[in-house]
Amino acid sequence: MKRNLLLLKTIFGILFSDFSLYSQTNENIWFDGFSRTYFARDAININAIDDTISARNISNGYSLLDLNTHVNPIKDIEIFTQLRLKNSFGSFFGSGTEVSVRQLRAKGIINNKIRFSVGDLFLKQSKFTLYNYDEELVSYENDLINPYKDIIHYENFYNENRWRLQGLQADFSYEFDRYIRGLDFDFFVTRPRGSRQINETTYSSDILLSGGSIISQINKQLILSGNYINLFEPGASGTKNISIRNPVHDISLLYSFDKEKYHIQQKLQTGISKRFWLHSELENEVSDSTSSRTQGMYFELDNKYSKKDSTLSLSLGYRYVDPNFRSAGAQTRRLDYNNINSIYPTYTNMSLIRPPSIFDLLSDYKWYNQDLSSILMTFNPTYSNVLPYGDATPNRSGIYINARTNNINKQFIAKINAGFFKEVIGQGTVNKRNFSLFKGSLKVNFDRLLNWKKELNLYVSSKSEISRRKGEDISSINLFSNHINVSANAEIAKKFFIQSSYQLFNSNGNEFLTQRDNYGNITYFTKTQIDQKEHVLSMGMLYKFRKKVYANLNYNWWGMKFSEVDYENYKYNRLVLILSVEL
Amino acid sequence: MKIKLIISLCLLFLIHSCTKKEFEGPSIEILYGDFELIEPLIITNKNPSFSNNEKVGFHCVFNKPTQWKISIIGLTTSAKREISGFSNLIDSNLIIWNGGPSQVPFFSEEFCAIELTFENEIDTLRDTISIISSKTYDNGVWVENFDDGLPENSLVYYNNDGGGMTFYIENDEPLLGDSYFKMGGRVNWDWSLGNLDIPMEMNNVSLSSENLYINLGILSDLQDLHTGQFINILISEETNTPFNDNPNNNSSDLFESTMEVYKMKVPVDWDGWQIKSFRYTDFEPITPNDPDINFNMNPSDIRAIRISCQACPSSDGNPICPENFGKDVRTDIDHIMFTTNSNIFEQ
Repeated sequence: MKRNLLLLKTIFGILFSDFSLYSQTNENIWFDGFSRTYFARDAININAIDDTISARNISNGYSLLDLNTHVNPIKDIEIFTQLRLKNSFGSFFGSGTEVSVRQLRAKGIINNKIRFSVGDLFLKQSKFTLYNYDEELVSYENDLINPYKDIIHYENFYNENRWRLQGLQADFSYEFDRYIRGLDFDFFVTRPRGSRQINETTYSSDILLSGGSIISQINKQLILSGNYINLFEPGASGTKNISIRNPVHDISLLYSFDKEKYHIQQKLQTGISKRFWLHSELENEVSDSTSSRTQGMYFELDNKYSKKDSTLSLSLGYRYVDPNFRSAGAQTRRLDYNNINSIYPTYTNMSLIRPPSIFDLLSDYKWYNQDLSSILMTFNPTYSNVLPYGDATPNRSGIYINARTNNINKQFIAKINAGFFKEVIGQGTVNKRNFSLFKGSLKVNFDRLLNWKKELNLYVSSKSEISRRKGEDISSINLFSNHINVSANAEIAKKFFIQSSYQLFNSNGNEFLTQRDNYGNITYFTKTQIDQKEHVLSMGMLYKFRKKVYANLNYNWWGMKFSEVDYENYKYNRLVLILSVEL
Repeated sequence: MKIKLIISLCLLFLIHSCTKKEFEGPSIEILYGDFELIEPLIITNKNPSFSNNEKVGFHCVFNKPTQWKISIIGLTTSAKREISGFSNLIDSNLIIWNGGPSQVPFFSEEFCAIELTFENEIDTLRDTISIISSKTYDNGVWVENFDDGLPENSLVYYNNDGGGMTFYIENDEPLLGDSYFKMGGRVNWDWSLGNLDIPMEMNNVSLSSENLYINLGILSDLQDLHTGQFINILISEETNTPFNDNPNNNSSDLFESTMEVYKMKVPVDWDGWQIKSFRYTDFEPITPNDPDINFNMNPSDIRAIRISCQACPSSDGNPICPENFGKDVRTDIDHIMFTTNSNIFEQ
């Protein structure tokens, strides 16, 4: 109650002061922020589903304002706070109205030498120590889906592959005039999760994440860097005597050189991880012990060639990640399959739990996770089986190639990504899975091609994943999935666009779903047969007031068709309006 | 260039020397292959004396994680207990039976047939045990078994205008022991038939509401079942008012809407005795929106329990359940037991 009063005082203080929202009126205090209005109306396609117990259509929505206040009490210190005012449609007299502090941070520079931040931090290290990998299904350019993607990323604090954590960070650097050019240091201590009450007498421990990076510019061509990160539980912060330790060390050497027309970069990186659970403060003076101890390493060699006129970039590399390599900061997934659908969570007259479709995963931010996980999270092989934990996916070795090309005027932009990986050891059998990944996209900017002033473009992309395991019939695997995306944008009046897109997802074959215990050990493989088709057809219009300020109205027809008798097919429609304003 | 080559070779060496295991996890060929028994069913105590807190452990090992079920059936009483799990090991340190059934009837001194079955497998393992002495159920933190008549200072109220009202101690078919409390009759025009109020003292009990369980034996019959009958269990934590403040109303005065009282409604629609168990935290405050009452649920503050017999009215004046017109309500009770940490069957 006191906190709410304080918040209200602050808000009224801001609203009734002389400050204007998005202009700097005082050198010590300035504001910016973000506002969104969202309205969605979902409807069942009753011709496709035998469902007379769910509402024929459901509508919901909200308006929100995230007001960012930057206060500079002195030159080298800034206090930043983000206050959220959110009002759900249909709320009256305060019920359904949310006032919350969404972010709070102080940052500054000590003596012009050490930079520090306290509070909400957005942290990233290497791709194997601390990295928030993109979720599956989003690597497509689709202006009808992009507003959803913006919401998912904004609501979950996904910012440039960084994890949002709360704690303390400090960095500083040195420059040298001989031997090496410079040395940068960065350290942080954060608390991803606080102690929680499990029952009347048991509390879980805090989870802390600490780490540091050292980057050394040895000469113009060579950069050596090292990272350390450790996820751990201090036992004294809870009542459980079992606590995790997951330290990861890595080192990389980046060699780059320029020629007149191109630039080449070679990166060699490797690292080692440990993970175990410490049993401490045991009864009868039993000494401390550890359990579920694993140790693993990774290695990657990446070679990148890029033309200086930006018409071609090509990277080719080899990666090995040990089956026991565990890095909570890099292997935590965004998409968390422990959630359920927000729209029509159950369907049919039997009230079955509705399995999520690509539309749910692309449009519902509640499917996504903000907390680091100390064990590998579950994934759905239908949507991501080759690299479900990004480049840090354990038990993979193989080569990859990524290419991007366009002509000088960017009339055509083409991308190709491919990867060929193999398990290092088998799962449940000595035979190893082989994985192939192919992604291709082509964007044609007709406006540039035809010298039109108004935008007109077409984007086509396709992604295929193939997973195979030979051997005995009982353990063999053959799974294929393909995602095709076509979208078109036409600017019919100044800043006013008509948009359409079609997505088709197809997956069939068989796989084994891996079940793990609380310590990450595999306990069971569930045999699963997959044969499903999904579609999302969207039509809409967009008005771009200016960059990052737009209104989008579109209609989606989406559904899922199963060949397996375990699930019922479904089809739904959605009308959505999104007004997004970055202040 | 040479240095990079050496580094790469060293790393490749490390890669191929890092992982020693052949594969991760259990073998798929075993998981989805034929079921095999590795170690037979072993029962740690074939002549248990449950009254002396002896327990029976079960041990068995098979080649793959399987859904298994142990059924224990009393050959005299037909009492039944089932224990199930999913694993490839039945560990006698973890899978133990303390002599209780899954539901009434209770086991007595008798032979019991033990059967271990596996889902989707034809294999069945059988054995027998002989119960030397059966488990006793009078060791809760508070027990009322009605064997000595009505509890001291308890109050019985029932609607005097009803027909065939049975609010008294009876001993023809108790759940356990010698007697039980009969509650029933016919009041077609109103919900309430009557109630039994019992004073309680749990001052010396120090436990959380999460760990307190209320167990109650309830008897009904399907013969001409009154479909709208139920029992309300009310527990009062009112500490400032005497149990029988107004001696003229035949009811305790600790269950007013202005007091800290919690309620659990139990529909009664079965044949014979059943024991129903509830965690205390599953009870609901009767007036949750009253800002003057602190519903902090503290077991040591419990002062009284009310067992109230109610039924959906069916007369012309109040025909909510017309199908029950002229039917007798029967919600007899026996053995009100407050247990800690688990319900009576898990004790």
